[in-house]
Amino acid sequence: MAQAVALDLDPIEARPQLIAGEQSFNAITEAVALPVEWKPPLGWWIALALSSSLLGLFGISIAYLFWEGTGIWGLNNPIFWAFDITNFVFWVGIGHAGTLISAILFLFRQKWRTSINRAAEAMTIFAVMCALSFPGIHVGRPWLPYYMFPIPNQMGMWPQFRSPLIWDFFAVSIYGTVSLLFWYVGLIPDLATIRDRAKTRVRQLAYGFFALGWRGSNRHWQNYERAYLILAGLATPLVLSVHSVVSFDFATAQLPGWHTTIFPPYFVAGAIFSGFAMVMTLMLICRVVFGLRHIIQPLHLDRMAKIMLLTGTIVGYAYGTEFFIAWYGQNDYELFAFVNRATGPYAWAYWTMVGCNVLSPQVFWFKKARTCIPLLFVISIFINIGMWFERFVIITTSLHRDFLPSSWDYFRPTFWDLSTFVGSFGLFLTMFCLFVRFLPMVAMAEVKAILPIANPHHHAPAKTH
Amino acid sequence: MSAHGVTRRLAQADVSIPSTSSWSKLPLIGGGLAAAGAAGSAAFGLADHGQLFFSYLVAFLFFVSIAIGGLFFVLVNHLSRAGWGVVVRRLAENLMGTLPLFLLLFVPIAFGLHDLYHWAHHEAVAGDPVLAGKAVYLNPTFFLIRGFAFLVLWSAAGLWFLRTSVAQDSSGEPCLTRRMQMASAPMTLLFAVTVTLAAFDWIMSLEPHWFSTVFGVYFFSGCVVAVYATMILLVLALDRSRLLGNAVSIEHVHDLGKMLFAFVAFWAYIAFSQFMLIWYANLPEETIWYSQRWDNSWRGISIFLAVGHFIVPFFFLLSRAIKRNRTLLACGAAWMLFIHLVDVHWLVMPTHHREGFHFSLMDPAAILFVGGLFLVVLGLGLKKQALVPLKDPRLSESLAFENF
Amino acid sequence: MKPKAATERPKSFGLVAQFDTPAAIFRACEKVRDAGYLRWDAHTPFPVHGLDKAMGLKPSRLPWISLVLALGGAATGLLLQWWTSAVEYPLIISGKPYFSWPAFVPVIFELSVLGGAAGAVFGMLFLNRLPQLYHALFRVDAFAKVTDDKFFISIEAADPRYDEQKTRKLLESAGASLVTVVEA
Repeated sequence: MAQAVALDLDPIEARPQLIAGEQSFNAITEAVALPVEWKPPLGWWIALALSSSLLGLFGISIAYLFWEGTGIWGLNNPIFWAFDITNFVFWVGIGHAGTLISAILFLFRQKWRTSINRAAEAMTIFAVMCALSFPGIHVGRPWLPYYMFPIPNQMGMWPQFRSPLIWDFFAVSIYGTVSLLFWYVGLIPDLATIRDRAKTRVRQLAYGFFALGWRGSNRHWQNYERAYLILAGLATPLVLSVHSVVSFDFATAQLPGWHTTIFPPYFVAGAIFSGFAMVMTLMLICRVVFGLRHIIQPLHLDRMAKIMLLTGTIVGYAYGTEFFIAWYGQNDYELFAFVNRATGPYAWAYWTMVGCNVLSPQVFWFKKARTCIPLLFVISIFINIGMWFERFVIITTSLHRDFLPSSWDYFRPTFWDLSTFVGSFGLFLTMFCLFVRFLPMVAMAEVKAILPIANPHHHAPAKTH
Repeated sequence: MSAHGVTRRLAQADVSIPSTSSWSKLPLIGGGLAAAGAAGSAAFGLADHGQLFFSYLVAFLFFVSIAIGGLFFVLVNHLSRAGWGVVVRRLAENLMGTLPLFLLLFVPIAFGLHDLYHWAHHEAVAGDPVLAGKAVYLNPTFFLIRGFAFLVLWSAAGLWFLRTSVAQDSSGEPCLTRRMQMASAPMTLLFAVTVTLAAFDWIMSLEPHWFSTVFGVYFFSGCVVAVYATMILLVLALDRSRLLGNAVSIEHVHDLGKMLFAFVAFWAYIAFSQFMLIWYANLPEETIWYSQRWDNSWRGISIFLAVGHFIVPFFFLLSRAIKRNRTLLACGAAWMLFIHLVDVHWLVMPTHHREGFHFSLMDPAAILFVGGLFLVVLGLGLKKQALVPLKDPRLSESLAFENF
Repeated sequence: MKPKAATERPKSFGLVAQFDTPAAIFRACEKVRDAGYLRWDAHTPFPVHGLDKAMGLKPSRLPWISLVLALGGAATGLLLQWWTSAVEYPLIISGKPYFSWPAFVPVIFELSVLGGAAGAVFGMLFLNRLPQLYHALFRVDAFAKVTDDKFFISIEAADPRYDEQKTRKLLESAGASLVTVVEA
């Protein structure tokens, strides 16, 4: 009996129980359903007001862009691509942690993921929405994005399938679709929970409709679990492919600083890194605001910090390898591009990137740092900033030094560059606010399944058989 | 199912190689093979020492990649605090325990620098500004210092992890596990840097003008494929001889199969990314490496590699039923080891045989020589201690492990 | 006449029994399985480990649906790109062949993932016959707890071995904390 209990705990680190507090299924239901059923606190209203005003700013920026054209941005001759693509890559990257948590950690049987996977998947979907808005608007001509779909234009021409930008469109939109499917499949049992607890007819019908009539049938669970496993198995290579394809946008070019073969895995690691930072930022806020401290525990934060340390260090490895090969290849242009990054006019951006991405997560070597909540919060913000700068550095520094020195220039963002970027946070945060209000932000069924009492062979210490 | 709650204990005798077992003759068999290989190499190699060294380099890289993979397996198990893999970890530790052998086996490469590496020729460097530019890095002295330094580092790490793990067999101290976990994180960092540079030095610099930033990752993915394939074969073979005391179940084998499958896909991902980016940008200084492997009979090997290292094993290993079938999985693992050898050959040999694929009897002779010595060291290691970490604190978790 | 009137009563859907722990439903499922019932089901708030075996379910056919659709997605990607780039409107781009397979791999891959994922999700719904917004079990008030913390076994009256008295007894002896008739 004692041995059976011991199996749930780790002999080395006394693997703590993943969920603290009262160990009952009902307690989980109550805790998770509460934010969906209560009258939201003032803090939520303030957050919604702030984020929807940012969303308004996003709308205004886009409207003005469509009215006026891309001239409102700070683009100039060699730098035709700056904030739009930087923001796109930034947002796609943010999404990747959600898939990592929901799919890859699932395949690796990391049970602790259940506390954070729902919110992280939601974050993925909202981040992909933000990301996809940039290819949609970046030419300033909203009647043209249909060129990205496999539809012939008025001259009978099809999209150029040898262009990485088309691959990118396929990759990101399919990524968004599959993430949505994955997220929705995970939600079905929990929507049924909310349906069964509904006090009003409207709620019952609304949640009941999306719960599809789920009745917890084990014959259903069997197919459901299989579907979940397949989705995880597909989402894992998908998430690798998406940021790899994003990296192809640059790496297929011949531009020094863009064309390098390590880009695919390096971009993937960077994406997961930035996404984890964003999950960390949001989770630290949610656990306090919504009273989920017993579900999102220091243990979860500790493991997320470890993943940030790992991926941050992989990113550092890639920076180093690129620099080394730029020298090793003995190509003057390539070497110049890298030396110029570190010492040229954008050196400030380069060193911000290195400081935030490579140096700042190194404090996570220490357990104390990994469980110190204010520090986690600060570092996660640093990483968010650093990863935005990484894309900015790659894109702008390679463009601003053209092969023709006469066209060298410097990019300065305008108000509208900044307002579009900041405004995209409005879209993201508004969606997130609505999500935490209307949907269960922790995967109840999955959390219940990892409680020790969920094991049919678990022997409760009090009872004897 | 009720076995869930029962803690099983393993006795040293159940999981050790008895002197009556044919496994105890492994060092002898290995010694015989090595002698045959040495004789063969000597017989054919005196006439053509260029071929001799290239064949030797392929054999060296093939076996060292398994040992490096073993080190990676152990590091990752400690890094991730994995429970399931404890019962098979000792085998990976034994594979990693062969690393010191490669310190010795690196010595012949020192004598073959001139035959193997174009940059080792003084006159070539003098007339070539690119090579002259990298001479600070690519020169015989620094190359050898680096090579030995990497091998010393890996050997030291390998021996330390092996010894600490074996010490736990008798003491059962949990603090040893804690110590290994602590060491695994910084060691993984060093591992990444050194394996990358080793791949650059030993393989990429065969074509001293060519470069690819992802090359280190490519070599690494090959090492991991090799070690999982080897582990599957070792586990299945030892279990067949009933030497693992029922510690290893089909569940562990299934997991090893999944990891092999994952890294087959990872290898393809890295290989495709490298190829596609170079093909797409079409810069002559980069495409030359692929055109050497495409413009003559090497094309057949290139296609064979793509099909045999990815397409066929991917669909083969996709099936859950196959991963849980010992015979079929063993066939898959053996195939992956073979195709990994083809991969290494394909990386190295086009430098020596620009005219096209060429089979030399020195190729199998070198494999016999290095492989034989590898088996000697591996066999001695397997005999020396239990085949399962007897008192690892997570052993019971590993024994009870079940896939869902 | 009387016995006939009794059979003319609206036939019930079957019986539903409530259990309080995963262990209880696990043992109960084994009993119901061993009693040879066919048209029955277990209902749980989360997938209980090993319950498929306890119920004697056959493995899901879902992987095959997913695999077929994934291959279909890959074929679509290949044909779409080959036809548009090499047949319908061939155009030389950066000196590459019309049919540039390395450049087509990303879209082929993405479409095969899309096919596989759609197959997994819609195949799962199809195999489960969902959405089915109404079900007789929803009439049982206690059944609302199935998505919270209670476990149920339902046995349909259509099962050849169904007998209200005997089946009820079986469920009660299996440790049910509540057994009710479900109206049709």
